[in-house]
Amino acid sequence: MDNPKVINIKSWTDSQLTTSPEIAEEQAIICRAQQGDQQAFYQLYQKYHRKVYAICWRMLADKDSAEDVCQEVFVQLWQKISNFRGDSKFSTWLHSVTSNIVLGHLRKHKNWLQRIFSIEDQTIQDVAVEMEDTIELTALDTQIARLPERARLVFVLFAVEGYRHEEIAKMLDMAVGTSKAQYHRAKSLLREWVEI
Amino acid sequence: MSKLLSEQDLQKTVAELPDEMTPQRDLWAGIERAIQTKQQDKLSFDSPKKAAFISTAWAASLVVAVLVTWFSFSPQLADKSVNLAKQDHSPLNLVMAMQENFKQTKQTMLVSFGQPKVSELPKEIQEELSKLSSAQTTIEKALTEDPSNNDLLNLLRWTQKKELDLLSQLYSPKWQSI
Repeated sequence: MDNPKVINIKSWTDSQLTTSPEIAEEQAIICRAQQGDQQAFYQLYQKYHRKVYAICWRMLADKDSAEDVCQEVFVQLWQKISNFRGDSKFSTWLHSVTSNIVLGHLRKHKNWLQRIFSIEDQTIQDVAVEMEDTIELTALDTQIARLPERARLVFVLFAVEGYRHEEIAKMLDMAVGTSKAQYHRAKSLLREWVEI
Repeated sequence: MSKLLSEQDLQKTVAELPDEMTPQRDLWAGIERAIQTKQQDKLSFDSPKKAAFISTAWAASLVVAVLVTWFSFSPQLADKSVNLAKQDHSPLNLVMAMQENFKQTKQTMLVSFGQPKVSELPKEIQEELSKLSSAQTTIEKALTEDPSNNDLLNLLRWTQKKELDLLSQLYSPKWQSI
């Protein structure tokens, strides 16, 4: 479980873009979007917004914030899409753009009480219940939403999104050891909470 | 007491997590609105011609302000007859050389752009070119009276460069980067 690759991380299109016509078609759509074709951009939105939303939702554990940030991702994507050079898969690149925008959102909207009293480690059980009312969640997603923020972020980034602890430490401005500790904490809580 | 989920089961559950979730509300409408607003902002503020026009307008206004101040407060202009009598002709030659060089560069540039008609430019840009030209005339006039003045020489060089830059931005072929 300590190696994210063992878990078979969800690389969005690894399974989808195995044939060259699909890759070529997507490249053509990206190219058109880079030239300002809004219709092409809409096609990208249609293809990826559910995946972007899933990342936002898991990292933020809040439906409204996840929707707002998902929109923000696509607005920024429209402005930044010309930066995509094709060095990596578009899905991987968008994945990374999304994670960074979510983290930026969290930094910006961190409650002043949390900043002053460092109470970020409180669990957020009520939020999960509220989300369950409106979104059909797996049992694990429901419990991930209950995790304390830092443990949740580390768990989602490491176990679900496939980042390495070194990368997570840099993204979250924490020590590598802290990232590992938060991951183990999240894992223990989930093993306790998720019923089989 | 409930049974603790095994490491393997947790691993399996994570692997089975759906990689897509559907938001409850339509997000595209808001995205589309934001994109269009940003595009409009971009069109109105980032257009190269507009940017060139705005910067040149600022530059021309600055030149006018400097010149007004110059003519209002410069003590040297008070006794210009004395200056005219005393002036050294070599700095004047420099001014003339600058004017000649500018005219040649501008002419070459206009020829390379196919001798475009300035009268076909938007009125506001014509006005800006006219302001720059007027500023140059005023500076040149001031230089005939004080040809060694480095500040005036720099101002003249600057206004000439601004005019050439503006012409270049107006008529250069547009290359679209992808």
